[in-house]
Amino acid sequence: MRHYEIMVILDPDLEEQTVTPSLDTYLNVIRTSGGTIEKLDVWGRRRLAFEIKTPTGKKTEGIYAVIDLHSTPAAVAELDRQMRLNESIIRTKVLRPEVH
Amino acid sequence: MAKTPPIRKPKKKANPLDKEGITYVDYKDTALLRKFISDRGKIRARRVTGVSAQQQRQIARAIKNAREMALLPYTATTR
Repeated sequence: MRHYEIMVILDPDLEEQTVTPSLDTYLNVIRTSGGTIEKLDVWGRRRLAFEIKTPTGKKTEGIYAVIDLHSTPAAVAELDRQMRLNESIIRTKVLRPEVH
Repeated sequence: MAKTPPIRKPKKKANPLDKEGITYVDYKDTALLRKFISDRGKIRARRVTGVSAQQQRQIARAIKNAREMALLPYTATTR
């Protein structure tokens, strides 16, 4: 088990209330493989430092969320892969705070 | 005889990270990282920031991570 920190930027056109439940369904991958979610923190809407092009047009803001979890490397890789497939997730970053 | 250039003794700067007791430079802490970039968005040199070599690397890595997540700009066009 390793400690991971995942940051996601979501499409600002989403309703902010739907963000937590939809992210939570993704996290089932972690739970079924025996990992634990420490914290799911939705920052809310935030201005991007620069525009990001997405299939649905240029975005000047995004909904940020930070997830803290303990899991196996394979489960996190799968979670990241699944999140990248979703077009309403603009960017993701997986980090291990201990080694960074 | 050629004049030897005057030896400059640079004043030692106070280390801004040690002063605030920061051991882990977090890429999410944009308020802190903004102190280490110029108004153009470039990373400030170590001789300007006055931190140790290890800390400078941590700061640079944190800034680059923050840039990838659009928390800090790659470039800022002021002027």
